[in-house]
Amino acid sequence: MAWERRGSNLYYYQSERINGRVRKKYVGTGEVAQARAHADKTIRRSRATRSERARAELVEARTLASAGEELCEAADILAVAELVAAGYHKHKGEWRMRRRA
Amino acid sequence: MLELPEGIRERIYELQELSDKAEDDQGARQELRRRLAQEAPEVVARCSDSARTYRRLLAKRSSGGSPLVQEAISERARRMALKLAGENPTPLEVLLSERVASLWVLVELQEALLAAWYYKAEGASPGFVLQMARLQESSNRRYLGAIKTLAQVQKLQGPSRVQANIGGNQVNVSR
Repeated sequence: MAWERRGSNLYYYQSERINGRVRKKYVGTGEVAQARAHADKTIRRSRATRSERARAELVEARTLASAGEELCEAADILAVAELVAAGYHKHKGEWRMRRRA
Repeated sequence: MLELPEGIRERIYELQELSDKAEDDQGARQELRRRLAQEAPEVVARCSDSARTYRRLLAKRSSGGSPLVQEAISERARRMALKLAGENPTPLEVLLSERVASLWVLVELQEALLAAWYYKAEGASPGFVLQMARLQESSNRRYLGAIKTLAQVQKLQGPSRVQANIGGNQVNVSR
């Protein structure tokens, strides 16, 4: 969206993507164009805020999820160590008691 | 705050190396048993502490700032962990059941976050929803894995306590 100056006049245009190509659409000039430009600016700002909020939320969700990863890994290691020490071994994804020789 | 102390982390990785060796080596298995008896209680205790802190952090985020909701979530997770661990649990069972409870809170939180964005009037971008869904899927997988590990340990190690009635008194004997 942009204002274009020709001579002493300002003309407001909107850009839109149609079938992958950007097209410039004439909106108008004067007060009507200014009102549209103001509305467009507000919409852009609200979109930016929303996407910033979404990004922050995603970062936070990732941080919370990854914070517990080390603990999960540690618990798995301890569980495996305990089972191996008790004489079990993993056979085709299944824990089995080792046969006594 | 959640990270395990360097010393504990090292000992956990040493236990992992030893348990890899112990798969085929009788001597390594004996060494592993000795190390578990000596070191594991402290290692498990430190991990359990961090697991509880993690759960409190998740509960705080899930509560939306309400101390009552935060406490309610923490208490529900605590009860869940207690119930899962069973009577007279071994320290490892405590740790594993606490992990299940923490991951339950995490999965619930992620579901709530995703639903909130999904149903918001302005909506969320498909990219955001997709990334959140992936995150949720991975947590869900980990949650199910944690349940499986706990069930395996409880099944393979057998009941960790024997209950007997002696002279009319109920006695719990730990292995």
